[in-house]
Amino acid sequence: MPLEIPDINWSLLMPQLVIVSTLLIVLVFDMFDAISKKTLGWMTIVGAGIALWSSIDLLQAGTDQTQFNEMFRIDSYSLFFNIIFLVSTILVALVSISYLGSGDKKQGPYYLLILLATLGMMLMAAGNELIIVFLGLELMSLSLYVLASYFRESPASSEAGMKYLLLGAFASAFFLYGIALVYGAAGTTNIPEIISKLSVGDQLSLLSESPLFLAGIFLLIVGFGFKVAIVPFHQWAPDVYEGAPTTIAAFISAGPKAAGFAAFLTIFVDALPKLPTQATGVIVLLAMLTMTVGNVIAIAQTNIKRMLAYSSIAHAGYVMIGLAAANPDGKSSAMLYLFIYCVMNIGAFGVVIMARTADGENLMISDYAGLGFRKPLLAMFMTLMLLSLAGFPPTAGFVGKLYVFKSAVEARHYWLVIFGAINTAISAFYYLRVVVTMYMREPEEELEFKPYPPTLVIGLVLAAIGILLIGILPSLLLDQAQSAVQSALL
Amino acid sequence: MLLSLMIFVPLLGMIVVLLLPRESEELIKRATLAFTLVPLVLAVVLFVSYDRSSAGTQYFVNVPWIDAFNINYHIGIDGLSVTLLLLTALLGPICVLASWRNIEKGLKAYMALFLLLETGMLGFFAALDLFLFFVFFELTLLPMYFLIGVWGGPRREYAAIKFFLYTLFGSVLMLVAMIAVYLNSNVINGVAEGVRTFDIPTLITLAGTTGHALADSTFQMWVFLGFFIGFAVKVPIFPFHTWLPDAHVEAPTAISVILAGVLLKMGTYGIVRINMAMFPEGLAIFTNGVGFWGNSLALLGFINIVYGSFCALAQTDFKKLVAYSSIGHMGFVILGLAAGNSAGINGAILQMFNHGVISAMLFLLVGVLYDRAHHREINGFGGIATKMPVYTGITTLAFMASLGLPGLSGFVGEALSLLGAFQEFELITILSTIGIVVGAAYFLWTLQRVFLGQLNPKYEDLPEINKREILTLVPLGILTIVLGIWPNFALDMFSESVTNLVNVLDAI
Repeated sequence: MPLEIPDINWSLLMPQLVIVSTLLIVLVFDMFDAISKKTLGWMTIVGAGIALWSSIDLLQAGTDQTQFNEMFRIDSYSLFFNIIFLVSTILVALVSISYLGSGDKKQGPYYLLILLATLGMMLMAAGNELIIVFLGLELMSLSLYVLASYFRESPASSEAGMKYLLLGAFASAFFLYGIALVYGAAGTTNIPEIISKLSVGDQLSLLSESPLFLAGIFLLIVGFGFKVAIVPFHQWAPDVYEGAPTTIAAFISAGPKAAGFAAFLTIFVDALPKLPTQATGVIVLLAMLTMTVGNVIAIAQTNIKRMLAYSSIAHAGYVMIGLAAANPDGKSSAMLYLFIYCVMNIGAFGVVIMARTADGENLMISDYAGLGFRKPLLAMFMTLMLLSLAGFPPTAGFVGKLYVFKSAVEARHYWLVIFGAINTAISAFYYLRVVVTMYMREPEEELEFKPYPPTLVIGLVLAAIGILLIGILPSLLLDQAQSAVQSALL
Repeated sequence: MLLSLMIFVPLLGMIVVLLLPRESEELIKRATLAFTLVPLVLAVVLFVSYDRSSAGTQYFVNVPWIDAFNINYHIGIDGLSVTLLLLTALLGPICVLASWRNIEKGLKAYMALFLLLETGMLGFFAALDLFLFFVFFELTLLPMYFLIGVWGGPRREYAAIKFFLYTLFGSVLMLVAMIAVYLNSNVINGVAEGVRTFDIPTLITLAGTTGHALADSTFQMWVFLGFFIGFAVKVPIFPFHTWLPDAHVEAPTAISVILAGVLLKMGTYGIVRINMAMFPEGLAIFTNGVGFWGNSLALLGFINIVYGSFCALAQTDFKKLVAYSSIGHMGFVILGLAAGNSAGINGAILQMFNHGVISAMLFLLVGVLYDRAHHREINGFGGIATKMPVYTGITTLAFMASLGLPGLSGFVGEALSLLGAFQEFELITILSTIGIVVGAAYFLWTLQRVFLGQLNPKYEDLPEINKREILTLVPLGILTIVLGIWPNFALDMFSESVTNLVNVLDAI
C-alpha cells in the first residue's frame, strides 16, 4: 500500500515553523564566539515576535482547520494559546538577557531549550489527538528539566532539575497509561471522536460508564494534575521554583502551566458534561483543595520564590473553577485567566530578579523592607503585580477572577465560587504582606542594589501596561477569548 | 460631562503630582490643593443647579465600557448622591490643608494617593452601574490602606492590614452577590431571555417586576445579605466594627477625617442605594417587626448606638473616644433606615451628612491638639481653655453638635431618625435614647477633663490654634450651625428621592 502523504498547508503552520527556524539560527550562531551571547537572546525575542505576529494574523483571519490527518488543529483556540505562550517566551527572554549577563559562555542551549519548550507547548495546544498532546508534553517537559538545572554549579539548581525530572517522568507515565486505557476503551485517540463516542443522540453511551475508560480519564487527570501543579500533585513546584534559576521559575510557572491547561481544557470541558457526575465532583474538589492549600501554605512562606510557587498553585485552582464550569464561558474564562496570570506572574518574578544585589539575589521577604521609598520604581512594579495576583480592580487579575467566577455561578457551582471568593481574601493577606514590608518596615541593613538592566525594565513596563490596560479595558482581550471559544463551537 | 470632570480631575491631579519633582514640596501641596478645589467648585455648581423638584437621576452619562458583559460607564446623581458628593468634595481641600505641615516623609506619594482616593470616593457616589460601583468601592480601599499603613502611628501596619482584610472580606461576598444579580437579571418566569445587565436603575425596575427572578423573595434575601455584609463592614455595624478604632488611632489626622467623614458613609449609601432600593423584599424580612429577624436591622442599629457610646465613655485616648462615638452615631443612621418610613430615611440621610461634617471637625480638632502636645491622653491635659480659648470654643461647638444639642445639626438628624424609628420599633427606639444620654456624658466629661480645671503646668506655653487650622474648621462649623437652624437646606435635596423609595418599600 503506497504511503499517502496528506496535503499540508504550510502557511497555517507559520508560527511553529518560525520557532523551529529561530531555534536553528540560534544553534548556528551559538558556534561563533565573536557574537555576543546577548544577541542570541534578541534573536529569540525577534523569532517569538514574528511567530506571535503570524499567530495574531491567523487568528484575525478566522482560521479553523486541521492538518496532518486531523491530528493538528489550527483554530482560534490553539492560536489564542499560542499568543499566551509566545508572550510569555518574549517576556522571559527579555528578563533573561540581563539576568544571565554577557559573562556566561553557554547561553546558546538556554535559549535553544526555551524555544524547544515553546514549540512543545504550541503542539500541546494544537493537539487534536492524544498522541500529539503527549509528544508536545514530552518535548516541553524534557526541555524544562534541563533548564531547571541550568546552573550546574549550584546544588539547589541541580536538585530542582533532578526532582522535576523524576516526578515529571512519573506524571508522564501516568498520562501515557491513561492514553492507553482510553484508547483501549474508545478505540481511537482522536479527541473529538472520543467525545462524540460518549453520547448517542441525546443519551450517554455505554462508553461514558465503562470502567476502563473512566480509569483512563482519571489517570489523565493525575498526569495533567502533575504538570499544572494542582493539589495533591503539587509537591514538586515549590522546590523546583526555589532551586531553578529565577527566570526559569518564571517560565515554568507561566507557559507550561498554560500549555497543560490548554490540553486539559480541550479534553475535559467538552467531556465533563458527558461523564458521570462524580467526574465533575472530582474536578470541583481538586479546585477547592488547590486554592485552599496553595493559599494557606503561601501564608507561611518567608522565601519569596516559594511564596510565588504556592501562589501559582492557588492560581491553578482558580483556573480549575473555569474548567469545572464546563461551559463555553468557563473555557474562555480559563483561557483569559491563564493569559493574565502568565503576564502578572512573570512580572512578579521579574521584580524578584530586579531586586538583586552584588552578592546575589534577595529572596527573603524581609529583604524587601523599606524598598518602597528607596527603590520606588521597583516597589511600584511589585505592588502592581501583587495586587493583580490578588485580583484587585482595576487590574487585569480582577477581570480574570470575575469572569471565572461568573462562569461558575452560571454552571450553578455556588459553593465553589464562595470558596474562590474566600480564597481571594486569604491570598490578599500574603500578597499584601510583601507590600507592607516594602512600604511600612524599616530595612535591617542597607543593601546595595544593582542598577536596573534596561531589558528587564522594558519587560516589566510591558507587563505593567498590559495588566493595567486589560484591567481598565477588558474588552480588548475578552472579545478575543470569547470568539476563540465560540468559533470552535460552530 | 460636568460629573465625569469632577470625578476624574483628582486622577489627573495624581498624574500631575507624580510628575512634579520630589523636592518642590510647596508646589506639590499647592497643586494638590488646586486639584481638590476644582471638584469642590463643581460639586457646589451641581448642588445648586440640581433640580430639586424631580426625584430622577440627573446629569447622567451612559456609554458602553465592557461590551462582553454589557457593562456601561453609567453615572448620574440624585438628591442623595449629590449631597454626599458635596460632602466628599468639601472634605478634600480641608484634608489637604490639614496635611500641610505634619507629613514628614514621602509627601509626593501621600498627596498622589490622596487624590486617587478622592477619585474613588467621588466615582462611588456617582456610579449607576453595579460593576462600576464595585470598582470605585475597591478603588478607595487601596489608597486608604497605604495612607494608614505608611503614614500612620506606631501600630500602623496592624491597623492597615486589619482594615484591608475586613473590607476585602465584605467586598468579595458583595462580588458574589453582584454576579448572582447579574446572572439573574434576564430571567423572567424561569426563562432566560435578552441581555443581562449591571445597570442599577434597570435592576431596580426589574426587581419590582412580578415574576422576575430578581423579585423572588428568597433570592432577594440572600443577595441582600451578601451586599449587606459588604456594606456593614464599611459602616461599620457591630460585630464588624473592630477595625475602626484601630484604623482611626493609627491614621494621620486628615485620613481619619476622610475615613469618618466619607468612607463610613459609603457603607450606608450602599445600603440605601442597593439594599433598600433594589431588594425591598429582602429588606422586609429583616425590618418587618415580626420576631427576631424582623427586628434584626433595628437591633443592629440599637447595638451600635448603645455599645458605641459606652465604649466611648470608657476611652482615655481622645481619638479612640471620637472613633467609638462615630460607631454610636452611625447607629442612628441604621436605625432610621430600618424604620423605612419618610421621617426615618430622611433623618438617616441627614445624619449621614451631619456626621460627616461633625466627625470631620472632631478629628481635625484632635489632630490640632496632638500636633502640639504629641499625645492624646484625655487625662494628661487639663485647663487648656486658658491657653487656647479659640480652640476651646470651636471644640465646644463640635461637641455640642455631636451630642445633639438642639439648634445644631446633629440634633435634627438624630431626632428625625428616632421619630421615624419610634413608629416602627417602639421599645428599641426608647432604649436607643440611652445612647444620647451617654453621648452627652462622655463629651461633657471630656470637655471637663481636657479644657477646664487647673492648667497642667506642662502646657504653660501651648500655642493657640493657627489660621490654617481655623480655615479647615470654619466651613464645617458654619455648616453645623446652618443645618441646625435650616435643615431644609439639605433635606430639600433628597426628600423627593426618599418619597420615591418609601413608596417602593410601602408597596411590599
